[in-house]
Amino acid sequence: MNREILLEVKNISKTVYGMAGSKVRVLDNVNFQIDNPETKGQIISLAAVSSPELTSLLKIISAVEKPSEGALYLYGKQFHKPEGKIVFIPEHSSSFPWLDVEQNVKFAVKFKNNNPEEIDKKVKEAILFAGLDGYETHFPDDNSLGFRFRISVARAIAADAKILLLDEPLRNLHGETKKEIFNLIKEISKKFNITIIIASTNISDSILLSDKIFLMTRHPGKVADTIDIDKSKELSIHSDYFQVLKREIEKLFFGYENIPLK
Amino acid sequence: MRLKSAQAKNLYKYIISYFVLWILLFEFILPVNNILPKPSVVLLSFSALWNYYRLPYNFSVTISAVYLSILIAYFITAALSGYIVRKNHFVTELLLSFHWFSNFIPAIIFGFFLIYWLPSSIYIEYLFAFLIALFSLVIRINEESAKVKHEYIDSAVSLGVSESVILKKVIWKSLQPSIIRYLIVLQFNIWSVLISFEFIKGGYGLGRIYRLAINYKDLSALFTISIIVGVTIYLGTLLINYFKNKFYNWSLD
Repeated sequence: MNREILLEVKNISKTVYGMAGSKVRVLDNVNFQIDNPETKGQIISLAAVSSPELTSLLKIISAVEKPSEGALYLYGKQFHKPEGKIVFIPEHSSSFPWLDVEQNVKFAVKFKNNNPEEIDKKVKEAILFAGLDGYETHFPDDNSLGFRFRISVARAIAADAKILLLDEPLRNLHGETKKEIFNLIKEISKKFNITIIIASTNISDSILLSDKIFLMTRHPGKVADTIDIDKSKELSIHSDYFQVLKREIEKLFFGYENIPLK
Repeated sequence: MRLKSAQAKNLYKYIISYFVLWILLFEFILPVNNILPKPSVVLLSFSALWNYYRLPYNFSVTISAVYLSILIAYFITAALSGYIVRKNHFVTELLLSFHWFSNFIPAIIFGFFLIYWLPSSIYIEYLFAFLIALFSLVIRINEESAKVKHEYIDSAVSLGVSESVILKKVIWKSLQPSIIRYLIVLQFNIWSVLISFEFIKGGYGLGRIYRLAINYKDLSALFTISIIVGVTIYLGTLLINYFKNKFYNWSLD
């Protein structure tokens, strides 16, 4: 078991059949690897100008979808089926509206664990961390997008996930809710040894959140560049470092599209 | 909500208006006619229905056939839900093959065959209603399962939950509101087909009362039994809606 490399995505390609039976290459030889963090989790962004390629890649990494070609390795061991170690959280809420908060979180563990005490302990811990204590009997539908996101996060924590795949978690969010989710993502990576992979079409969010960004082309999706974020530098929307990074990434994106910069 | 209550208010206004119009027109202006019976005669016809047409027995036969068949069909589909919602499973394919026939052969024709095969059985009415309920539900569930939000399925799959759990606890669960809503349509369809079936077969049930009332040219019995059927279906709808709002009150939008 290779403890140095957490996840390896090797030559992943995906071809789907479009309208009128035509073949569409969604992903083409995607390659990247994520090192195993020693002390705390890390946040990695997969950034692109369009989201279908990103969503497809996340589904493949979580083994929800099968790739047309290529292989995936977790701790150096190839995997084909989802085992709950890599949890995918879709863009829209994935919490079940027919279950309350506690039942939603329990769903992640009760079918895989026969020890009721252990289940209760894990569920309680996850609920507490996600800031949902006191809301155990609430239903997702009665609450905000942020609340539903917290349920999905609690579920992943209860499942002992090693990698959390978030599909555009900040899209269509504004103001306080966006800030709340933003902070929650940072908190998970700090508190738990969970690596978070975020698919994002928003460059600013990717820079502010991530330790590393994989830039992807579109039609088909392919990892074209890797940007390491220097966390020792001041990182806010108004900082020079942020602006330089943003311009650099935009330039690279325009380059992939063969669009001349003005 | 406000719109709904306003609509309901208007509906009740219309119902009361029709009722008053019926009393005025058929009690006082046109007491002897062949269109609708006199309101006072309708009141009297209840006792005739009770005694001569054996209303309690015939009513209990039809109502039990309708609702027992729906109930049993629902529990059977729940038990088989793992197969029904699964695409390309042979059980699903087998059940859905009947759907193809039902596009061209009305259910009542199948009822004719049942009458021919088992003319004296008291159970064929139940069997007929049950088969309609079962196949209607299977077809509906299969159609609806294609509309389940893939976000629910994807997230459950990534948690490493088994396929049977996903079928039962995610797909089947998320289908519940639409299935329960469909029961309202289903009860109406079964009432319609079953009354026709009883009318043709004779023997027992509300369809038999219709047949006798037409034979005896008893307009008031015909009218009264129609009111009873209408009120029963209305109460059935209220009951199903109550269950839906109480136990299956989530939205998938």
